[in-house]
Amino acid sequence: MKKIISTKEAPAAVGPYSQAVEVNGTLYISGQIPLDPATGKLISGGISEQTEQVLNNIGAILKAAGYTFGDVVKSTCFLKDISDFRAMNEVYSRFYSTNQPARSAYAVKDIPMGALIEIETIAMK
Amino acid sequence: MKRSVFSLFSLLIVAALSCADNSGDKPSGKRVVTLGNTPASRPYSPAVEAGNLLFVSGQIAVDPETGKLIEGDIEEQTRQVLKNLVRVIEAAGYNKENVVKCTVLMTDIAHYQIMNKIYMEFFPSDQPARAAYAVKDLPMGALIEIEAVAVR
Repeated sequence: MKKIISTKEAPAAVGPYSQAVEVNGTLYISGQIPLDPATGKLISGGISEQTEQVLNNIGAILKAAGYTFGDVVKSTCFLKDISDFRAMNEVYSRFYSTNQPARSAYAVKDIPMGALIEIETIAMK
Repeated sequence: MKRSVFSLFSLLIVAALSCADNSGDKPSGKRVVTLGNTPASRPYSPAVEAGNLLFVSGQIAVDPETGKLIEGDIEEQTRQVLKNLVRVIEAAGYNKENVVKCTVLMTDIAHYQIMNKIYMEFFPSDQPARAAYAVKDLPMGALIEIEAVAVR
């Protein structure tokens, strides 16, 4: 029933979880951090670059599962620093320009590997 | 002539590709719920429905009239957040009895009891499943944010 999604176009998991799991037309994408899929390392760059990398990773997983950004119904954005909120929004709105998903966003204490941002995603079709 | 046909054809391909790429405008049975005064600058929808599921965006204690965070302590902010939540849920054609899961984020875990007291007023029985925890910071300096999932 459930299908494990795995692609080399997005970073490998850094722990005991799948990149995404699909079940009954719903895709649960694990929280993505700005890792380079080729090296598995955190990219260098500030919040804009990191947000872009995170969304590219999400795009690669959506594609591997046969979904698109248009199928995303819910995002949760975790920031290291709430003052990155605007800059994150600016990049985020380029990836989600219409029919935007529901979203929650807030700052947490720490994100794995010292990342500035993590985004988890639910898509449905 | 040949050249202009070729150009037109290239243009169509580019247009088709950019449509395919900008997949944001292909809602796959998903319905975006809007409210009259949602600022266009916000890159998210108040809620999204897919099938019989409703995902409500995290709500903070913003006054819907002014778009500004209300002045108030945790009690007042919790009340405003829940009012905003119900407003979005009802705009989507759902009601609060349809809520199956809430996530409550606070900037101070010491606010837990007061939040619960107000929360109980809104969800007095058959309460949704819930997770609640303290986070580092919330947008606009809010004290509390609540997101919800509803099913009908």
